[in-house]
Amino acid sequence: MNAAVQPATAVLVVEDDPHLSAGVAENLRAEGYSVHAVGDGQQALQWLAHEQCALIVLDVMLPIVDGFTVCRTLREQGNNTPVLFLTARGDPADRVRGLEAGGDDYLAKPFHLQEFLLRVRAILRRWDWYRSASATPASAVLRFGGNEVDFRAFRAQSWNGVDQELTEKEAMILKVLAERPGEIVSREDLLERVWGYDVFPSTRTVDNFILRLRKRFERDPANPRHFLTVWGVGYRFMIEGQE
Amino acid sequence: MKSARVFQLTALAMVAVSAVMVAYWMYALRSAAIERNQAARVLYSEQVAAAQALLASGVSPERVHTTLPAIVVHGEDASLSPEVDRTLAAEERRRINQFAWEGAFFLFALGICITVIARALRAEAMVLREQDNFLALVSHQFKTPLASLQLSLETMALRPLSPDQSGALIERMLSDLARMEAMVTQILESVRLERGRVDLRREPVEVAGAVARVVASLEERAKKERVSISAELPRGVYVLADPLALDVVMRNLLENAISAVAPVGGGTVRVEGRRMNGEVEVIVRDSGVGFRPGDGVRMFEKFTRLHPGGGSSYFGTGLGLFIVRRLMQLAGGRVSAHSDGVGQGAQFVLAWPAAPAEAA
Repeated sequence: MNAAVQPATAVLVVEDDPHLSAGVAENLRAEGYSVHAVGDGQQALQWLAHEQCALIVLDVMLPIVDGFTVCRTLREQGNNTPVLFLTARGDPADRVRGLEAGGDDYLAKPFHLQEFLLRVRAILRRWDWYRSASATPASAVLRFGGNEVDFRAFRAQSWNGVDQELTEKEAMILKVLAERPGEIVSREDLLERVWGYDVFPSTRTVDNFILRLRKRFERDPANPRHFLTVWGVGYRFMIEGQE
Repeated sequence: MKSARVFQLTALAMVAVSAVMVAYWMYALRSAAIERNQAARVLYSEQVAAAQALLASGVSPERVHTTLPAIVVHGEDASLSPEVDRTLAAEERRRINQFAWEGAFFLFALGICITVIARALRAEAMVLREQDNFLALVSHQFKTPLASLQLSLETMALRPLSPDQSGALIERMLSDLARMEAMVTQILESVRLERGRVDLRREPVEVAGAVARVVASLEERAKKERVSISAELPRGVYVLADPLALDVVMRNLLENAISAVAPVGGGTVRVEGRRMNGEVEVIVRDSGVGFRPGDGVRMFEKFTRLHPGGGSSYFGTGLGLFIVRRLMQLAGGRVSAHSDGVGQGAQFVLAWPAAPAEAA
């Protein structure tokens, strides 16, 4: 990677089709990103072991190591770099698989160039927001009910002293909620801020993530004091905890 | 389609129910015949008793026989006439045999009907499933060049480009179109081959010359990819094959070999030949990416693209080796692939029946 380029604008393109890889890379460069392109999953993991980037554009059907495995491996290694999947298989089950593997967005081939660029910008915007919202020492750490969350390290220690590894989505949801303590945050708002527009088919996903946060941070997940449901609307986050 | 299937399954169920009913009827009729026969015997034994009583009361044997014709009298004893006894036994046997044979025949016929219908249904379901898989795979294969084509066109529409950049994009688009055209050709070819709609000629073809022609046509590409390609075949060895099919097979294997060598930064592709046991073997060896030894069979199946290498190029359709195998089968020959593992190169062995000596 060119040392003069800001890491924030670096994009890794992992695509085995040389034409598509070149086309994607050229367009990203034209938009001002610095691009490194590799042709298989193994090369991607090797590159990412030493280099950083702001976004990975990842094909699913890749030689040697497929895209889902690359993404899952990165997440297991604690690498939270956002991933935009590109794939020739666009059915909903595959979309969900990609997002479960830790992907941020999913685009089926053939895709529209402008939609692709829009999604790249949207993912980077969400991450810019997350990073800037966690930039100061005060905003990087959230303390509530005996829990302590470190947004920059994606780690937390819960009230019972257990160390927790947060996924990027969990951290982002916590961040959105923590920015507006005591206020009602709608499910749609959470979807929009954390996932972007049309990635998930339903707001049920948000509910599942809230359940996971309750399990991690509530003393009694069945009777939450911090992550409160506002029926029919969304959620309210209480730092002090509601009796 | 769905209503036809419902109809077929209903027909199958009806035939199955009919079979059960026929079996029941036959059993019931047989039982009824046996019962009727037994009832007749009871009746006759009553007649014997009556005849005995008549004789005891002093009625003459002639009178008894006239009144009861089925009874014969010997001295003071009355018994069932052996003729009637035989008729009764024969009747019973006839009925039982009739029901056993006829019933078995009907059940056999119905069983055949059920088997035929069930097999047809299963075959149809399999064809449909194969068609679905084929369509899914074909559409998947087309999506990548389509995506590339769309990306190039939209780039041209979105951005001001220098003539050089436009030229590069146009070249890329033409290459994508050529890729899709090759796919269409190969898909049609594979379907034709699969359905046996090809008439291959069988004539003596001089292998060394045929291979040399293919090698010559690929030399430029090989050079560009830093692949040294060479052929060492004995002159004057003839095989029985279709010249066009032989050309397609050699071209496919050599193109694959070049594609397998290019990613490792260049290397060699060698073609050798030998005559053995009425066959002529042609071996294509490459120093390319190779494949897992276990993939040697799978790679000849439709739409199998092995990673890494295994002769599958970035722009492959996944049909090339399938076509090679089918053409070799139709020519009465064979093809096999071997590799010691990923990164170990590969070798493909083709074998055709040798042409009779006089052909040469």
